Amino acid sequence: MTTLTMEKVTKQFGRNVIAVKDFDLKVKDQEFLVLLGPSGCGKTTAMRMVAGLEEVTSGQIFLGDRNITDLPPRKRNVSMIFQNYAVWPHMTVYENIAYALKLKNMDKQSIDLVVQKTSGMAKIDNLLERYPSQLSGGQQQRVAVARAIAVNPDIFLMDEPLSNLDAKLRVSMRTELKTIHHKAGATTVFVTHDQSEAMSMADRIVIMKDGEVVQIGTPDDVYHRSNSLFVADFIGTPPTNFLKVVIKKDQEGTHLKNAHLNLLLEPGTAKTLDGYSKEKLILGIRPENIILVNEEDASLSTSCLVTEPQGSHQIIAIQLDDKIIKIVAAADLKIKTGEDLHLNFKQETLRFFDPETTLALSD
Amino acid sequence: MASTFKPLIKASRRTMFYLFVVSITVMIITPLFFLISLSFLSTDASYSYPLPLLPSLSENYELTTGERGYLLSLEQRNGEYKTMLDTDDMEKMAVYMKTRLSTPISIPELEELTARVDHEGTVYFKRRSDLLNNYYTFFQITRDAGPAFIRSLQIAGMTILISLSIGGLAGYAFARYTFIGKNLLKFSTLFVRMFPAIAIALPMVIILAKMGFYDQPIGLSLVYSIGSIALTIWITSSIFMGIPESLEEAAQVFGATKFQAFLRVTFPLALPGLAAAAMYAFLGAWNETVSAIILTQFNPTFSVVVYQSLVGATGQVNLAAAGGMVMAIPSVIFTFFIRRYIRQMWGGMTI
Repeated sequence: MTTLTMEKVTKQFGRNVIAVKDFDLKVKDQEFLVLLGPSGCGKTTAMRMVAGLEEVTSGQIFLGDRNITDLPPRKRNVSMIFQNYAVWPHMTVYENIAYALKLKNMDKQSIDLVVQKTSGMAKIDNLLERYPSQLSGGQQQRVAVARAIAVNPDIFLMDEPLSNLDAKLRVSMRTELKTIHHKAGATTVFVTHDQSEAMSMADRIVIMKDGEVVQIGTPDDVYHRSNSLFVADFIGTPPTNFLKVVIKKDQEGTHLKNAHLNLLLEPGTAKTLDGYSKEKLILGIRPENIILVNEEDASLSTSCLVTEPQGSHQIIAIQLDDKIIKIVAAADLKIKTGEDLHLNFKQETLRFFDPETTLALSD
Repeated sequence: MASTFKPLIKASRRTMFYLFVVSITVMIITPLFFLISLSFLSTDASYSYPLPLLPSLSENYELTTGERGYLLSLEQRNGEYKTMLDTDDMEKMAVYMKTRLSTPISIPELEELTARVDHEGTVYFKRRSDLLNNYYTFFQITRDAGPAFIRSLQIAGMTILISLSIGGLAGYAFARYTFIGKNLLKFSTLFVRMFPAIAIALPMVIILAKMGFYDQPIGLSLVYSIGSIALTIWITSSIFMGIPESLEEAAQVFGATKFQAFLRVTFPLALPGLAAAAMYAFLGAWNETVSAIILTQFNPTFSVVVYQSLVGATGQVNLAAAGGMVMAIPSVIFTFFIRRYIRQMWGGMTI
């Protein structure tokens, strides 16, 4: 296992389409790194360049100290799990796993040993004689995993490997993939557009948009310290609530105001705004950080639009002008549609964004 | 009300369906049946009216003294005897019985019979029909039938080779790569099929003559390949499109070269399509007659030989039928051989 370094990697299709732009990345040894972004953001292209399936327009890619930028895929010693599994339908499970080993001129006994070991890890050791068409989607996925482990690669690449599975299986496969990752001690790059998948699996998440990196950080970082409107909106279900406000300073302190809201910032929180000269601001607040309070403590009073019970918690939606704001509240709270709500915010969790640059004001 | 009619409607629908199926079957089976039956009939029977449905396994003869020698009569289906020949030339009679009536007989046997006629008057005897007579005769009297058969096989084989190697690769390119003018190019491969063979035959003669391929198997297979390459491109490109590119990419990531990935992954998966394309190429080349008549002179293909056995002064419908049957055999064998792969394409395997 080893590290992956990408330096200013750019991929251009044709004359106009830039899929990945000046992509810099360092994946640490044994790290589970997730490339996350909406479809078309270049995350898959970035991974395919690591695999050698796309040529690099400019920039360099290193595996450890090896420059692999111009090597053909077979010489890179990477292994990949594809979105559609890409298990070979005309080969049995055994042959699927053994094929790569045969290409490496491994002798029969060692191949047998490796196949037994990896298929055991992926829990398909009882299916070795079957053809992929006789397997379920989840089992095919395991074959792809076993095949990827068998070659003992420097790095694992996973291209949305769970997106073809049904919802329940997807969640259980997350745990298994992560377990296998730990067992194999493998450096892994995982591509997905599913933010909850990214949050639950990643050591670090790279959030991409339009071919560029927006934020790199641990799941905690990107969730609680989103560096831009895009990230704050993309991560979390329901996503961050945004409120357009103006800054008003008086003898009481700093107020954030709009038609519905009058929020007095605590001195600690107000410090974040030092050095910010513009009047307008976008306030970001996670749904679970909005709290129900008494009328006199409220910064915001409105009525409940609808409630969505989730079992473990409930989501309360309120409407401010044309915007829906969502609040995560305890499940045992009895709230009826139309009922008056008095809200306040957990101040330490507030995020402020510059409406022009869309970037966060604090780290 | 409506519910009372429901079974009726259902029944009539079923009836219509079966009528349809049966009529299709009859349409296909009837000509085939007549071809097979005709190929076994004697020349005499095949030109009689009404045509017998099945060949007779033996013939009953009456031999008696005639004006010129001996009078040979053949029992008809209604039990009466029809005079066939009056001669004293035993060799002529033997040839007649073999070629016209498909009942071979040796001259000593005939002489023995005529001796009995001399002795007893009228003699009745029965001869077994040689059902394969037409087939022997076809290969004996038609010019060049055996070599033409081999030549046709060569041509069909070469056509498969040329159209699969060129058309298959082109199909792969169409399926996997994007390039300027791709759709136009793919569509234009069909242009060549729009012109009737007869219309482009003369230019073909000139071109082939200049290439030195006129009247040679390679020349014909080149001409046939033009059409079947187009078909092969369309069949194989859709097959290759159905094989996910990621299968090949996976092979490359796991240690195969691009060519190995194609050979070990894509090629085996494309076999059904390639087999279907091969079958079309084979059948096209094997059955084609019009161009072959024009583009060959001393080295005709088998289909030309069969055609010639039907037309002209020496033409005989039963011989042509025998030739047609011989011609059908390789097609049937080839189709059976390749059936396994095509079945895979039609739902035997999922990718």
